[in-house]
Amino acid sequence: MSPIDRRVFYHVNWRLAGLLAVLFAIGVLNLYSASGVRLGDGMQVENYYQKQLIWGSIGLSGMVAFMVFDYRRLNAVAWPLYVMTLLLLLAVPIIGKTVLGARRWLDFGLFNFQPSELAKFSVLLIGARLLSSDSERLNLRELAAVIGLGLVPALLIIKQPDLGTGLLVLMLLAGLVLYRGVQPWLFRTLCVLIPLITPAFWFVLKDYQKRRILAFLDPATDPLGSGYHILQSEIAVGSGRLFGKGFLGGTQSQLRFLPEKHTDFAVAVYGEEWGFFGMIVLLSLFCAFLYQVAVVARDAKDPYGSYLAAGVFFYFFWQILINMGMVMGLMPVVGVPLPFISYGGSATLVNFSLVGLVLNISMRRYLFKQT
Amino acid sequence: MKNLLSASSQNMPRFGASLLQFLVLGLFCLFAVRLWYLQIHLGPVFTEKSRNNQLRVEYLFAPRGFLRDRNGELLAVNEPAFALGLVREDCDDIPATLGKVADLTGIPQERLKEIYTRNKPKVKSFEPLVLAPDLTFDTIAKIEGVSVRWPGLEILSRTRRKYNYGHLLSHVLGYVSEANEAEMQADPTLSLGDFVGKQGLENRLDSRLRGAKGKRLIEVDVTGRRLSEEQQGEPRAGEEIFLSLDLGLQQLGHKLLEGKSGAVVVMDPDNGEIHALVSEPSYDSNMFTSGLSSAQWATLRDDPLHPLQNRATQSVYPPGSVFKLVIAAAGLHYGVVDPKETVNCTGEVALGSHVFRCWKHSGHGSVNFQRALVESCDTYFYKLGMKLGVDRMSEFSKASGFGSVTGINLPHEKGGLIASREWKLKRFGVRWTKGEDLNMSIGQGYTVTSPLQVARYIGALLNGGKLLRPALVKGEQPQVTGQLPLTEEQMNMVKRAMVATVEDPHGTCRRALTNGVVVGAKTGTAQVVRLTDELKRMGDNVPYKFRDHAWMAGFGEQGSKRFVIVVMVEHGLHGASGAGPVVKAMLDALFMGKKELPPQDVAGAASPAASPAARLEAVETQFPEPPLPVPPAFNELQRKEIPQ
Repeated sequence: MSPIDRRVFYHVNWRLAGLLAVLFAIGVLNLYSASGVRLGDGMQVENYYQKQLIWGSIGLSGMVAFMVFDYRRLNAVAWPLYVMTLLLLLAVPIIGKTVLGARRWLDFGLFNFQPSELAKFSVLLIGARLLSSDSERLNLRELAAVIGLGLVPALLIIKQPDLGTGLLVLMLLAGLVLYRGVQPWLFRTLCVLIPLITPAFWFVLKDYQKRRILAFLDPATDPLGSGYHILQSEIAVGSGRLFGKGFLGGTQSQLRFLPEKHTDFAVAVYGEEWGFFGMIVLLSLFCAFLYQVAVVARDAKDPYGSYLAAGVFFYFFWQILINMGMVMGLMPVVGVPLPFISYGGSATLVNFSLVGLVLNISMRRYLFKQT
Repeated sequence: MKNLLSASSQNMPRFGASLLQFLVLGLFCLFAVRLWYLQIHLGPVFTEKSRNNQLRVEYLFAPRGFLRDRNGELLAVNEPAFALGLVREDCDDIPATLGKVADLTGIPQERLKEIYTRNKPKVKSFEPLVLAPDLTFDTIAKIEGVSVRWPGLEILSRTRRKYNYGHLLSHVLGYVSEANEAEMQADPTLSLGDFVGKQGLENRLDSRLRGAKGKRLIEVDVTGRRLSEEQQGEPRAGEEIFLSLDLGLQQLGHKLLEGKSGAVVVMDPDNGEIHALVSEPSYDSNMFTSGLSSAQWATLRDDPLHPLQNRATQSVYPPGSVFKLVIAAAGLHYGVVDPKETVNCTGEVALGSHVFRCWKHSGHGSVNFQRALVESCDTYFYKLGMKLGVDRMSEFSKASGFGSVTGINLPHEKGGLIASREWKLKRFGVRWTKGEDLNMSIGQGYTVTSPLQVARYIGALLNGGKLLRPALVKGEQPQVTGQLPLTEEQMNMVKRAMVATVEDPHGTCRRALTNGVVVGAKTGTAQVVRLTDELKRMGDNVPYKFRDHAWMAGFGEQGSKRFVIVVMVEHGLHGASGAGPVVKAMLDALFMGKKELPPQDVAGAASPAASPAARLEAVETQFPEPPLPVPPAFNELQRKEIPQ
């Protein structure tokens, strides 16, 4: 391991880091509100915001850890990590731990570990490695190879069942493929084929997943069942109106009509309390953040760095699209958290680490010589 | 590493950077538009929905007003009651909970399921759905014991109407029971399980007795926990109302009629206030407040003696000789009677080939106006009826308040019937015959009246001709609904004749004589069936259902204190012996202070006829609808030789 090159830290992308800090701060503040502080009397106050702060500091060290080494070293670990991920995913159904009906966890004694989180990272590495080797648009064989590599872990994750993460892994890879580009004929064919094949996945879905999709298509059919989440979320966001009900003033969240208000629907709490104005600010911050990542991908010193940054871009992009779309009633209910806003320990650690990776790529763009 | 470096910049994606920027722009535009739509365009809609989530309206119970008699005795009060409610939102397993409730309360599970499914659409999921309206303390204790394990079950504290004299006043007070669908639709403040007056004064005075509910806005969380409350209007208790009834008189009347079917009306002729309105047999008003089972209801409804019927206002009877008071007055009014003029009664009057008999077959001899009333001479009235004719008798009777309701504040009052030529032609398609004039003149034929109408007429004779609306609430402004077409002198003549009927040694009402009180009265013995030879032979031993109705209508006067008393006893045989003792007891109570008060609530009055067979017989002679379906053949209508 080569010593850390101190020169690179003169080029830290402070814009990206600043946006991360602001988003995380908003997230913690929002979790403070979602923890039901107003109703402190006689009711258990959930201290999610404190936990999130602790996870943030852990994430910060993860971020620094991902900044210090040269990102190009990751190229070498791509394959071993991928294989290890597959092994761990295979181990989950056998020795995994069941939480809330889903077998997603591996118990390592001191802590529980979710191999699906690792899968996102290893698919990112393997995708970047494969796709950055050339700049030609992908032909069918290459495309099949890349998608095939993603499908194996994705299906294993979907089986757990964790539809959100499984899809995320596939979509991350799909984003990278689009980033590179596919041959025009292939692109056209796919445009026709994918809508035709997608309905077939209906039969793979579990009943509760089907219900969620049906409820999304028509929430009124079952307002107290699957449609309840969407309806209450829309009511929360919609009743925020222009300037919101004020910090800690959201009745939908404070009175707990809004489900999952700490995790998947955390941004609905924000939307209710800060209104259209606050949501546009948050949306702008997310877009600025994504734009900064896109800029890093564009300006990266080498294709590998560019693909890595683009992978991180898609990782965040899809989560923002799915989660906020779900909260606004544009997407079915899929358990995908909103980065920095939703509470989640390992997610926070992974998010911070990936931003660290982008910062890593960003600050090494001026280095010409490696030792 | 080497490999990577050499790959260098020519491997950079060509369009990737623009793709990413385009995606960011797309994301922003998509969400900005959607947010505008949700928060600005649909904002008001969702704000309303969020308020509905958060706020609940609770109505605060207003106690129903008490009812008291004229002396302040409590007649209807409220007492605490406990109901079992189910809050669906808090209940984990409704079928299992219903099963448990069936165990605890003893109500069959099917019945609970039925109650549950029927009321489910009407009760919001966070409101208690009443499963059992009235719990015993044992059951409450059992439910409280398991309530922790059965979330959603709630003991609801309510009040229940209690009638202190359930049997005594059921026909006047009526009863309350839970509001039905239609009533709840008409009044949005009524909710399931609220009581409304369904019968009697409870029904007619409902708006005054019910008061107004208070309203409270409650902020709740998703589990229904109350967080804050805002009072919006205090509940206003229902009015306490003093009735004109005298509980003591009512009890006395009830006791005197015990075992019989009949009615007693005691009225103050000067203001129309009703001091007693007794109808026997009666029912217990309290049965209805805790919900009547269909079996109980069927028993009440199908009872051959019709205990639900208020015999003073809802039943009409042929008045018999009591009606001679009206026909006599009509004769004076139309000037066809000279009070000095006498008529010779030979015991019968011939009309064509038919013979109409006086009740006294040997005849009364020479009778004038007063003597005709005192001795109730039928012959005199047959001749008077012939002279008057149906048109004038009908006109005068209607002007005297017969054939139309008195307007007493009780539901379903009946107005009786005064026949006329037009009516008969329309009803039977047959012309009026002269013989029917004769029947009408002695209160038989088609004429039917309610005891209350008779009381109103006699009241008018006393108070200068004012037909007053009978009042049940004490101190109400008297309402004059008509005027007798009689001069003061003509009314006095009828009054004097009534007094003579009591005081004259030959008078039919001698048993009503009361020391120190000016008493006037007239009996009536109304035939309910045509008299056959067989019945005639049986004398007083005729079967119950063929016996005549007994009437006595009169008044007592002592200084400025005066009362009208009308007593009607179904199948009481003779006016004087069947109704007379009741009038006498009432007079004693009113003027001599001899009130024989039985203990509180003479519950479960014995049925008039002892055996079930007799009860069945009795039902056949009830008069649910006024006249007989075919015109009676008057030649067969013979008068028995008994004082009328």
